[in-house]
Amino acid sequence: MRPATKRLGLPAAAAVLALATFGGAATAATAHGVSAHAAKPTYTIAYEGPLSGGNAQLGLNMEYSVKLAIDQANAGKTFGALPFKLRFQAADDQGSSTQSPTTAQSLIDNKSVVAVVGPAFSGATKAAEPLYHAAHLATVSPSATAPALATQHWNNFFRVVADDNAQGPADAEFAAKVLKAKSVYTVDDASAYAVGLVGAFDTKAKQLHMKVIHQEAPGTTQCQAGTGNVQQYGALSTQIVSSKAPVVFYAGYYCDLALFAKGLYAAGFHGKIMSDDGSLDPHYVSQAGASVADGSYLSCPCTNLGNTPQDKAFATGFKKMAGFPIGTYSAESYDATNTIIATMKKIGAKVTRPALVAGLHKIIYNGLTKTVHFQKDGNIAGSTEYIYEVKGGKIVELGMASQLIAKA
Amino acid sequence: MCFTTNFWPFLVQGLADGFLYALIALGYTLVYGVLQLINFAHSEVFMSGGFASYFVLEALIGTSQPHGMASVGYVAIGIGAGAFGGALVAFLLERVAYRPLRRRNAPRLAFLISAIGGSYFIYNLAGKEFGRNALEIPAPFLNGPAFTLFGATIQTDYVVVAICAIAMLIIVDRVVAMTRLGKGIRAVAQDAETASLMGVNINRVISQTFVIGGLLGGAAGFLFGLNFGVAYTMGFTPALKAFTAAVLGGIGNIRGAVLGGLLLGVIENLSVTCIGANWRDVVAFGILVAVLLVRPTGILGERLGRSA
Repeated sequence: MRPATKRLGLPAAAAVLALATFGGAATAATAHGVSAHAAKPTYTIAYEGPLSGGNAQLGLNMEYSVKLAIDQANAGKTFGALPFKLRFQAADDQGSSTQSPTTAQSLIDNKSVVAVVGPAFSGATKAAEPLYHAAHLATVSPSATAPALATQHWNNFFRVVADDNAQGPADAEFAAKVLKAKSVYTVDDASAYAVGLVGAFDTKAKQLHMKVIHQEAPGTTQCQAGTGNVQQYGALSTQIVSSKAPVVFYAGYYCDLALFAKGLYAAGFHGKIMSDDGSLDPHYVSQAGASVADGSYLSCPCTNLGNTPQDKAFATGFKKMAGFPIGTYSAESYDATNTIIATMKKIGAKVTRPALVAGLHKIIYNGLTKTVHFQKDGNIAGSTEYIYEVKGGKIVELGMASQLIAKA
Repeated sequence: MCFTTNFWPFLVQGLADGFLYALIALGYTLVYGVLQLINFAHSEVFMSGGFASYFVLEALIGTSQPHGMASVGYVAIGIGAGAFGGALVAFLLERVAYRPLRRRNAPRLAFLISAIGGSYFIYNLAGKEFGRNALEIPAPFLNGPAFTLFGATIQTDYVVVAICAIAMLIIVDRVVAMTRLGKGIRAVAQDAETASLMGVNINRVISQTFVIGGLLGGAAGFLFGLNFGVAYTMGFTPALKAFTAAVLGGIGNIRGAVLGGLLLGVIENLSVTCIGANWRDVVAFGILVAVLLVRPTGILGERLGRSA
């Protein structure tokens, strides 16, 4: 023990010295900053979502959008001169509902946080929202789609996407009318998000006189810190092939769908695979392989950006900052952040958490993906589903589900 | 009845899973034989093998699509790389997490904790360094239906897994039964003290046992990754299952580990057709408990004397 202490002695002293120097410098800088911009208060907009773990990619798609929106607003590019400065804070919940309350508490304790973009996942939102609600902290989720979230009387809960009560039925109708399936095999990954979605799908499918067989296959350890076994899909696929169902609907995330699709392919499944917005990620194609993923339909309450100058500017700005192109929910996160900033601008220099919640209930903001306007329960007013297909290893948007169904 | 519909496809699937469990289970059982300890970091040996083969094959194959003899070569290289990666990590683990404790006569619990610590360290490091997304090993052969057996389509990768696994299992069985090294392993497993009096270098034998377990576990990591991709969390469930298989077959018994692995794989898969996909683990572990209640030593188990 003694030699170790001795060896540590010098570096420790150096570290203390360095700390003192840096500490001094930091204090000086702050003092300077305050004197220069004394009039402008600083507020933090946080992002909560998975930034590590199997679903990190979805989280990164969102994180950089929030950051970009904040940087642009600070530079005066999007809202002109603002009476406050904005700061960004990322909070990683790994998409997990066990981690999420801790993450939420850390944001609540930070008094400068006035709004949160997120939480990204439905399960995580369900777990964290009671805490946010008690702290009157507004959360605007770009992606949590479980219907139940809007029925809890959390007046601080908002989302800029349609819920699964819109997505599930639209998917079922697409399977029945466009794919003309008489029966469907539905599988969910046992997450809060997937169970709600698959329930909405099944109900609608039965109304449309489809035969529905349902199975649950827990999300795997390779995906969103699940507990399932990655080998489970082989047997499940054999089961599905022998059921002769022409369509499989999977409610879950891309990393599991990739394994599942490979299992179906190996078992000799020749029907159609459909899945949801959790699977709408290029990693689905790269992990399953293009030959397996081709022909899969994916749905999302989100749309690809068009070719307007604003859309293009966002896509370029994002790529420059993140180092990878925009992905699922990037544009929605950008809209969510800008909706918050627009509301703050209306309030003025003195933004409080309750004032922001009240402001969000009234705001109408023209975003990239849609006009953001919230219903009383926090759901977005009037939103649509889009269907995508994997073609030649690329995810291609086919169009609005309602239009595709009307055409069929 | 549930067993009769699709019996063969599920049996084939079960055997494919079972061979992988068997390869990993051998790592547990061999180490248990010489140390009477469960190496809880073995899951990370398995994962390291997967990553090692991924990096080697990624560099060699890239985006090309090998076929014919080249495929056989790449599978051999993949197994070699996986085995080397697994063996290296197993060797280091023994040096860092076990040997210092053994030298100080630490209590059993200390070994358990240092193994769990090693496991967490390695897999978090891998997640940090190699990313959190699953990586696909570039395919060394074109996977597809190879032939049909009683109505079950046998995939090429099942054939590859089965051939490689059977070959390795036979080699290990022979090595332990016939070579000088094997004699050393058996001697230490039976009575370490007497073995050392007879001139067996216990430290060396233990180290070599870890390496053999690592070779098998690492190769299994490659075979597993071929189908499911490699990820930093890939070791957890298969290793837990393999541990179960080793206990089911009788821990410390090499053929028992193989039997346990195959049984577990088949039972798991048949339970999917009979009860449902989400009952898979419930059934597998339920049967484990039932077997152990009737036969606490496992199916082929017997007491194997004292540890080192």
